[in-house]
Amino acid sequence: MDPARPLGPAQIDVLAQLAVATILLGGIYALIAVGLTLVFGIMRVVNFAHGEFLMLGMYLAFWTFTLYSADPYVVVFVSIPVFFVVGLLSYVLVMRGVIHASHNVQIFTTVGLSVVLQNVALVAWSGDFRFVRPWHLSTVLRAGSTTFNLTQVVAFLIAVALTIALVAFMKWTHAGRVMRATAQDRDAATLMGIDTDRVYRLTFAIGIAAVGAAGVLVAPLYSVYPTAGLQFVLLAYVVVVLGGLGDMLGAMLGSLIVAAVEVAGSYLFGTAWKEIFYFILFILVLVFRPAGLFGQRGAETLGV
Amino acid sequence: MSFLVRSRRGALVVFGLAAVTPLVVRDAYFLDSLVLILLWGALSAAWNVAGGYAGQVSIGHASFFGIGAYAAALMVTRFGRGPWLGMLVGVVLSIGAGFIIGLLSNRLKGPYFALSTIAFSQVLLIGVSRWRGFTAGGEGIPVPFRPGFATLGLGHVGWVYMALGAALLCYRVEVYLERSRIGYQLAGVREDEDAAEALGIPARRLKVFAVTLSAALTSVCGSLWAQYVGFVDPTYVFSVDLSVRFALNAIIGGMGTALGPYLGSILITSLETYLRATFSGVKTGFAGIYLIIYGTALILVVRFVPEGLAGVAARLRARRAHA
Repeated sequence: MDPARPLGPAQIDVLAQLAVATILLGGIYALIAVGLTLVFGIMRVVNFAHGEFLMLGMYLAFWTFTLYSADPYVVVFVSIPVFFVVGLLSYVLVMRGVIHASHNVQIFTTVGLSVVLQNVALVAWSGDFRFVRPWHLSTVLRAGSTTFNLTQVVAFLIAVALTIALVAFMKWTHAGRVMRATAQDRDAATLMGIDTDRVYRLTFAIGIAAVGAAGVLVAPLYSVYPTAGLQFVLLAYVVVVLGGLGDMLGAMLGSLIVAAVEVAGSYLFGTAWKEIFYFILFILVLVFRPAGLFGQRGAETLGV
Repeated sequence: MSFLVRSRRGALVVFGLAAVTPLVVRDAYFLDSLVLILLWGALSAAWNVAGGYAGQVSIGHASFFGIGAYAAALMVTRFGRGPWLGMLVGVVLSIGAGFIIGLLSNRLKGPYFALSTIAFSQVLLIGVSRWRGFTAGGEGIPVPFRPGFATLGLGHVGWVYMALGAALLCYRVEVYLERSRIGYQLAGVREDEDAAEALGIPARRLKVFAVTLSAALTSVCGSLWAQYVGFVDPTYVFSVDLSVRFALNAIIGGMGTALGPYLGSILITSLETYLRATFSGVKTGFAGIYLIIYGTALILVVRFVPEGLAGVAARLRARRAHA
């Protein structure tokens, strides 16, 4: 677009379409990112295997669709308890032992977990690209001059509903308050009689349930393969760092920013280059505002 | 070569055996494994300079490996010059890139630094994949084999000594970091940066130095690897998996120990070679199974033996000395 030219109806149409695309994409990114930021905020662990749980969610959608022709947007509600259990197991088997360990140990534990999950998927289901094509993917909706397909809209609505439910859970339930108290001060929470191990277990399970559900939601929109999680997790890191690690509302805003960068970047320079924009944005944010756009300064130099 | 003898019997055995083997064994398959063990060991030792000695844990070292590999490959294919010149260009570029990453390490700690290094390698991956006109994009570049030392067209025996040279170079740098004033200062920075700074140690400058040095060494090995394997493509040379691999050998062998990365490489590379031979007929190939074992090993080692093989060996020696 030539910025010097006055905005005609055609340009306004384009802008409206871009804005709608940004919001739809941002809603889904938010659900991917809140799980990551929750686990970080409360457990102080950056989960490098986050994307692999997303990938497992995508495979769940693929297999239930292929074998039982189940609609991914019904499966998503089944996926929440399934991934809650997966999260519990991962916590008990892998994470519990390193929760008080150094950053390096935590980084490489979750990196190791990511390598294992990726390759279990590779051995079990091969490296082929798979596709989930439910009927609503070819249903196009029009509102004014903008168009989008039904799948995107439903995925967006479910993602937003789940994200809001999670934020509400953290804010208004007793369990949520206990979790936030543990995040603020682990030792004081222990002194108040809070069983921190239970809090971490619940936190990790909820974080994984959120990202697993997000995997089911995005499965029809992207191809499914063993390393599919990587692109999303890198993006989720960008979102989470932008919003301030551990800040759920920040993560939601960060998602919109990343989605806007991606949408505008693809429109102006073509989709091939879109990822490079958010990585550059990521490095810039890490350098200039490492605590996030809205976060407190200094968190990053404490090494979390 | 005094750095080899003084109380470093382990290193003498490892490198001595590597030097003698090609005189005795002529089996190409075995020598190929040996070259890979030495090269992966050298790469992990290079990673160790930043990750182990300076405590700057990177999961983006594939950036420098890829820069070295591409510099050598492009120098041969695009400019018709020798790979040695490419290696030099790669080192210069990696020093620049390493300097930038090193500066990042002054602002970022722990997971933040690790994330920024991943992002850096992804930017290079996308850039090289998309810049088709110059780098040939995702298709990769086959590097032609021209016999001779100047073109790095060596036989198996020649490559064993070339890889051994790289391994000794990286090992020498590690030993330097253990014995020199800079090495002690770095250890101080790694253990407690604030305390080190209070003692007047220029912590920030030292970290940048360590990361840059590590980048340059990684780049040299990347150039050698490109000539040895004869093919570079962006999705492999800039992959996160590769960065993890450099770290993995060093962690399993013992972070911050000079011989650790080589011990880790011996274990992991032999395991890979063995599994490749065993599972080559299985339909999904050996890759998945090998990587499942390697991921599990990583989780178990950081949890139960964070000091690695070299650390365990040192502990056993100490116990024997006591008894």
